[in-house]
Amino acid sequence: MSRREEPSLMRRVFRLPESRARARRALDDELRFHLEGRIDELVAQGMSRHDAETEARRRFGDIESHRTATLAIDDQIIQEHRRMEFLGTLGRELRHAARSLARSRGFTTAAIVTLGLGIGAATAIFTMLDAVVLRPLAYPEADRLVELTSPVPKFKGDTLWGLARHEAYYFKDSSRVIEDIGVYQNTEVTVGGDGGDRPAERARAVQASAGLFRVLGITPLIGRNILLDDNRLDPPTALVLGYGYWQRRFGGDPSVVGRTIDIDGFPMTVVGVLPASAQLPDLQVDVWYPANTYPEQPAYNNHTWGAIARLRPGFTAADAQRELAPLTARLPDLFPTAEPPQFVEHTGFYTQVRPLRDVVVGEVMTRALWILFGSVLVVLFIAAANLSSLFLVRLDARRREIAVRAALGADRAHLGAQLLAESVLVALGAGLLGVVLAAVGLRVLLAIAPTSLPRLNEVHLGAAGIAFAAGGSLVVALVLGLLPLFGSSLLDLTLLRDGARGATMSRRRHVVRAALVVSQVALSLVLITAAGLMVRSFRNLRSVQPGFSADGVLAMTIAVPAQQYGRDYGKTSAFYEQLISRVEQLPGVVVAGVSEKIPLRGSNLCTGVNIQVPDSNDLVGDCPSTSLISPGYFEAMGIRIAGDPLTWSGMNQHDGRMIVSGAFADLHHWTTRDAIGHGMNFQGRDSWYRVSGVAGDVLADGFDKPPVSLVYFPMLPIAGGRLWGVPTEMNLVVRTKSGNAMALAPAITRIVSELEPAAATANATLMNTLVAKSMARRTFTMMLLGIAAAMALLLSVVGLYGVLSYVVGQRRGEIAIRMALGAQVAQVGRMVVGQSVRLAGLGVAIGVVAALASMHVLQSLLFGVKPTDPLLLGLSALLLIAVAVAAGWLPARRAASIDPAEALRSE
Amino acid sequence: MAAPTDRELLRGTLDMLVLKTLSWAPMHGLAVLRWIEYATHERLEIEEGALYPCLHRMEQRGWLLADWGYTDQGRKAKFYRLSAAGRRQLSAEVSRWQHYTETIGLLLSAGPAT
Repeated sequence: MSRREEPSLMRRVFRLPESRARARRALDDELRFHLEGRIDELVAQGMSRHDAETEARRRFGDIESHRTATLAIDDQIIQEHRRMEFLGTLGRELRHAARSLARSRGFTTAAIVTLGLGIGAATAIFTMLDAVVLRPLAYPEADRLVELTSPVPKFKGDTLWGLARHEAYYFKDSSRVIEDIGVYQNTEVTVGGDGGDRPAERARAVQASAGLFRVLGITPLIGRNILLDDNRLDPPTALVLGYGYWQRRFGGDPSVVGRTIDIDGFPMTVVGVLPASAQLPDLQVDVWYPANTYPEQPAYNNHTWGAIARLRPGFTAADAQRELAPLTARLPDLFPTAEPPQFVEHTGFYTQVRPLRDVVVGEVMTRALWILFGSVLVVLFIAAANLSSLFLVRLDARRREIAVRAALGADRAHLGAQLLAESVLVALGAGLLGVVLAAVGLRVLLAIAPTSLPRLNEVHLGAAGIAFAAGGSLVVALVLGLLPLFGSSLLDLTLLRDGARGATMSRRRHVVRAALVVSQVALSLVLITAAGLMVRSFRNLRSVQPGFSADGVLAMTIAVPAQQYGRDYGKTSAFYEQLISRVEQLPGVVVAGVSEKIPLRGSNLCTGVNIQVPDSNDLVGDCPSTSLISPGYFEAMGIRIAGDPLTWSGMNQHDGRMIVSGAFADLHHWTTRDAIGHGMNFQGRDSWYRVSGVAGDVLADGFDKPPVSLVYFPMLPIAGGRLWGVPTEMNLVVRTKSGNAMALAPAITRIVSELEPAAATANATLMNTLVAKSMARRTFTMMLLGIAAAMALLLSVVGLYGVLSYVVGQRRGEIAIRMALGAQVAQVGRMVVGQSVRLAGLGVAIGVVAALASMHVLQSLLFGVKPTDPLLLGLSALLLIAVAVAAGWLPARRAASIDPAEALRSE
Repeated sequence: MAAPTDRELLRGTLDMLVLKTLSWAPMHGLAVLRWIEYATHERLEIEEGALYPCLHRMEQRGWLLADWGYTDQGRKAKFYRLSAAGRRQLSAEVSRWQHYTETIGLLLSAGPAT
C-alpha cells in the first residue's frame, strides 16, 4: 500500500469529491454500505429481514443528524481544498513568472523603470493635488467656513474690499445661515528688544476679533484666546503668540505667559500661546492681538477687514450669499453715517460669500494642478503603452511555449493567470519604485516650489498617495496582463504545427503596437504644445516692460517706533533723509530713496482725493492708490519721469510738488502736459499739492496685470496738507552698481540701528527676487509641464524605436530579398525611416486635432499667446517628426547592414 | 450493559479507538466497528452513526487518508487508512491515556487517610 501524504493532482481531479453534490452522493453511498452490511450480517445470524433493518437502524442512531454533521465536515474539506488549490496555482504562476522575468533581466529592468517613472510622477502630482485642492482646510469642519468680502463693481472692476466691523456684528445677529463671524487684519509689528540678546524685530501680526478664534475653532495651547473684552480696549493690551514664533523667539518657554512685551511701542501682556495648527488660511502668524471691535462700537465706513464666517450645518456659501443680499441692501437705512445711499449707489457695493477653501487655493492654482495631474496621467499612459508593447513582443517570442501549454489543456483563464502573474510582478516592482520616486520627487518639488503656493506645508506623501500608487499599479497590471488575451488567437494550435511565424497573429499584434505608438505620439504632441504655450507665456511675461528696472536693486522695510515718531512728520522725514544720505555713501550704491509702497509687494487700498482743474473752480473726486515717497525713489527704482521730480530742498521747503502715474493721467484723459499744474488734495484737507511730473506706469500688481493708477505724495507734507498718518514704515530702495546688492543689507541694518536703536529692519530682498516670485506659480506650472512633456517625448521615442526595431527584425527576410534583387542600402534605410515617419505623422495629425480641441483649458494660465497658436503647433509637429526620423535611424542602419545571403540562409 | 457513563467516556476516546483500529490495516467504517466489538468482547456499545463524523473529521485533519475500493464480496466501499500524522497522533493519545489511567489508578489504590 503506497503511503502518499498529499493526494496527487490526478487524484484530486478524478477521485476526490470536490463538489458538494458529489460529496453528498459519496457519503450516502458510504452510509448505505454500512447499513446494508449490518443488515446482511444480522440476517446471516438468523434475524428476519424486517427485524434486522430495525436493529441496524437502532444501532446506528439518528441517521439524519449524523449525516448532517458529517456533511458539514465534508464542506469544510472542500473549501480547504479549493483554497489550497487557488493558492497553489497562484504561487506556482508567480514563481513561474518570477523565474521567467529573472531570465530576461533587460526586459524586466526596462519595464519596471519605465512604469516606475510614470507611477512616480503621477503619485507625486496626485499627492500635491490631494493636499492642496481635494482635502478640506486644516480646521474643524472646514467645509462650513466661508470668506465674506465686498465687491465694488461700479467703482473698480474686480476689486474686493473687506467688511466693515459693524457689518460683521449685524450679519451675525440677523442671519439664520451664519453661525459666527470673525474679522481680522494682517499687519506687521515691531516686537521690542529685551535689552539683551533679542533685538527689536519685525513680526507678522494679525489683529483679530474674539469671533475669529471661535470661527476657526482655535483652542490655545497655554493660557487663553483673545476675548471680546480685549477687543474693547484701545490701544490693545493682550497678546497671543503663534507656536512657531513662541519657539523661535522665546525658546518655547511657557513662563512667557504673563510677561509684558513691547509691540510698536505699546506694552502688551502675553495671555496665551496657540498650537502649531492655529494659523490663518495660508499665513503663518507670529503674534495675534485684539482688533478694536465690539458690538456697540459706532459704525465706520472702513471696509478693510478680512472676514471669515462659520455657516450653520447644512448650509452652503450660496445660501449665505442669497440671505446676505437683502441684509446688505438695508445697510444705508441702518448705518446712514457709515454707508450712505450715495456710497452704495456709487460703488455698487454688495456682500460676496465664497467657500474659504476656494479663496485660499484659488481658481488658477486648482486648474493648474488638475492640468498637471492630467499631464502626468498621460505620461503614465504612454509609459504603460510602451510596456504593453514590450509585453506583446515578449508574447510573440513565447508563443510556442504558450501553444504547448494550451495543447496540454491549460484553458484561457489559466493562461490569463500566467500573463497576469508577470504583469502583476512588474507592476508591483514599478509601484514600489514609483512610491520611492514620488517621495524623492516631492521633496525636490517642495524645495523648488514657490512659497506663494497655497497649502504647501500640508503636502506629504501619505496613505492617499500610496493608495493611489497601488491602485494605479494594479490597473496597469490588469490592462497589461489581459490586453494580449483580447482579440488575439492565443490558443491557436496551428502555431504548434507549422512552427512558423504565425503571420496573422503577428500582424494583428503589430497593428495593436502601431496604434499604441500613434497614440503615444499624439499625446506627446499635446503635452509638448502645452509646455510650449507655457514657455511662450513665460517669455512674453519676462519681456514685458514693468516700468521699473529691477537689476541690482535692493529693497528692505525700515520701521521706526510709532510711539516716538507717530506724530512727527518732520522727525520721521529727517530720519529717512539721514538714512538715505548715509546709505548713498556705501560703496557701490548709486542712489537710494524710500517709498511707502513698492511694486509687486503691498496692497492697493485707495485714498479719496480731490482734483482741482486749473483756471476753474471745478473739483473732481477720485480714489487712487497713493504712496508717500522721498526724492530719489524714482531713480532708485528706475521709474521714468516726465516733468519735475521731487527734490530734497524742494520737499523740505514744502514746495507742494507731487507726481502722478501715467495710468492715473490716462484715467483722467490728461496728456503729460495737461497733468502738470493740476492741484490735488486729500478729501477734507485745505492745502493743495501741485502735480509737477508724470511717472512712467508701473506693473505693480504683476506683469500680467494692468498698470496701477497711482499718485505719489512727498513724505513730508505741506502745511495744512497733512496726510492720513506719519509714514513710520517705509521701503528703502537702493540701486547699486554691482550685482551683489544683497551684501549691503547688514551694513544698512547697522546704519539704521546707529540712527535709531529702536528701529527695525525686515524683508531685505532683491527686486529681481520679487519679480521672480510674482511669476513663481506660472514658472512652477511651466516647469512641471515641461518635465511631463519631456518624459512623454522620451517614452514615445523609445516606443517608436522599439516598434521599428521589431519590424526590421520581422522583415529581415523580405529586406534581404529586396537587397538581393538590387535595392540600394539607402533605399532600405529610407523604407524603415519612412515607416517611422508615417507612424509619427499619423500621431501628429491626431495630436494636432486633440491639441486644438483641448488647449483652451490652459487659457487662464497663458499670457500673450493664443491656446491654438499655429506656430507652436507647427514646431511641436516638426519636433516629433524629427524625433521619428531619429528613432528610425538606428533600426534603418541595422536593416541596411543585413547580409542578404546570410539572412536568406537562416530563413 | 451499556451504562451511560461508558458513552461519556467514549466520546473523547473514540478517536483513539479508531486510530488504534486502523493501525492494523486499512478498513471501511463497518469493519472498524466490527473490530472494536471483537477486540473489546462487545463490552463497548458505540452509536454507530457517530463513527462517520469522527472519521471525516480525522480525514480533514490529515490523520486519515481515504480511498474508494472494493470489499472481498466485490462491493464498493470507502476505505480509511492511517497517515504518518495519524500514527503520531495515535501514539500521543495512547501515552496521554496511559498517563491518565495510571494517575487515576494511583488515586484509587491509595489507602484511606490515617
